[in-house]
Amino acid sequence: MSTTTTGPATTGPAPSTPSATARVLGLARANLTLLLRNKLTAGYALVLPLLPLALLLVDRGNESLVLTSVSSALLMAFLFPVFYNLLSATVTRRDELVLKRMRTGEVSDVELLVSLALPGAGVAAVMTALAVPVSIALGAPVPTNPLLYVVLVVVGIVMFTAFAFWTAAWTRNAEAAQMTSFPVIFLAILGSIGAVLPERAARVVELTPGAAMESLIGIGWLGLDDDRTLSFAETWAAAAEPTLVMVAWAVLALVLAQRSMRWEPRH
Amino acid sequence: MTNTRDDLAVEVSGLRRSYGSGKDAFEAVRGLDLAVERGTITALLGTNGAGKTSTLEVIEGLAPATGGEVRVLGLDPVADRRRVRRRTGVLLQRSGFAADLTVAETLRMWGSTVTSPRSVAESLALLDLEHRADVRVSGLSGGEQRRLDLACTLMGHPELVFLDEPSTGLDPESRRRVWRLVEDLRDGGATVLLTTHYLEEAERLSDRISIMDAGRVVREGTPAEIVEGHPSHIEFENVGATLPPLPGASVEVGHARTVISASELQPALTALLTWADAQQVTLPGLVARTATLESVFLSIADQGHADPGAPADATTDHDLEVAR
Repeated sequence: MSTTTTGPATTGPAPSTPSATARVLGLARANLTLLLRNKLTAGYALVLPLLPLALLLVDRGNESLVLTSVSSALLMAFLFPVFYNLLSATVTRRDELVLKRMRTGEVSDVELLVSLALPGAGVAAVMTALAVPVSIALGAPVPTNPLLYVVLVVVGIVMFTAFAFWTAAWTRNAEAAQMTSFPVIFLAILGSIGAVLPERAARVVELTPGAAMESLIGIGWLGLDDDRTLSFAETWAAAAEPTLVMVAWAVLALVLAQRSMRWEPRH
Repeated sequence: MTNTRDDLAVEVSGLRRSYGSGKDAFEAVRGLDLAVERGTITALLGTNGAGKTSTLEVIEGLAPATGGEVRVLGLDPVADRRRVRRRTGVLLQRSGFAADLTVAETLRMWGSTVTSPRSVAESLALLDLEHRADVRVSGLSGGEQRRLDLACTLMGHPELVFLDEPSTGLDPESRRRVWRLVEDLRDGGATVLLTTHYLEEAERLSDRISIMDAGRVVREGTPAEIVEGHPSHIEFENVGATLPPLPGASVEVGHARTVISASELQPALTALLTWADAQQVTLPGLVARTATLESVFLSIADQGHADPGAPADATTDHDLEVAR
């Protein structure tokens, strides 16, 4: 070991404390490196969200196919780079005592969580943004209200991030995540079966995040609400209910995550 | 604790820490008092389950106290967490880093969160890790991971350093290097509070030692003060002769060996050797030693084991290892 000075910095320039943003970005950069270094996780994160858009090649311009493929692309973006990747990373780093180690430093708990979530959220944001030109190139119409799409992406990322932290709290180890992720995945894909259910059951399913997502894509992208064509202005009112459903689920997920966060493995 | 002393880096008063609730509740720390002077190395020793790590985690602000008061650099480690962390470095007993980051990437990541950090190159040099800079953490030996951990601990030039078993897992050479580093920290003006299960480490490094048993400090002082008043020992294989009275000593003849406990070693040993010489008695396997930290520690540990209320497994403290 060298003769480098080991004592506290008592002289010299005033100490420079990194801002919260700098701390989060420093940690997020390392987390992104880890995400990209895991080939399977990176493959799932970067390829799966765009795969459903290949369906558009089957029948160019078919609106119901646009709805299905874009909804599936978003679902993949939320489930893989955001939910499953974050669930797995949180459980692994908790079990390896990385989170406990990080909490001994200057970084706050919130900064630590944001930096964990940021790479997956960033990848999801990029993939959902890419889905727009790719879909249009494959024959989908230009979105009627792109802002609703942006709202959907932002709320979806927040919701599935919070669900990942909540699920991690009661997931014993990384292997168990394959099973414990199922409730959230089921909740997310439930929306796609609403059309084949009896009316009362379909009404309940409409209140799931997956169904609300699909409604928002129908309204915001295709400008359709129950086969009624909407203008840009009309999309706002039509989007109120599914947006509220999404926001309510996001708030619920945040509350659950905030109440259940675990920093160390169970003994 | 209304008035804090400026000369103290750590002040702990009446600290209590419990685990669980109801019937399963267990109190690991039971009214502990501790004062660590600035610019010193203080070692916290204790048997398995004595409460060392439980105590340290509260002082570090990582776990809440059930009772009592803790001041670190005059601040509350929980309420003033951000201000305290800027000035402290923590090495946990067990912790980890992401396995797929390299050593340099890990240090860069840690440095991005630290006030006025050392450079990555300086940190690598400090712990002799330059040649391992591009190796992933998963490829490091246990000792190298411990050194990386220590490099992160020291990255922000902390004025108070908590080291929970800093040399565990290190080979003898690395352990001695870490000792030099800890001494350099103190010589540079930093305060060090460490736990260890190597008594040699505590004896060599510490200005003061606090020995814990069953969640309390039962003895504290400089290494010399700790052993003061404890008997020296003379041992040899049984010789089948009646020993003369020895000044300030008691004799215990066991199955194979005779053990003499003496308040002062020299007069007892002189009397014994004079008698043996006069009687032409050989004392096979003769060993004479003054009281050591080890003997004091073991006597405290024996008392603790006789205490039915003593905790056995409250914390993750390792078994204490007596360095011989």
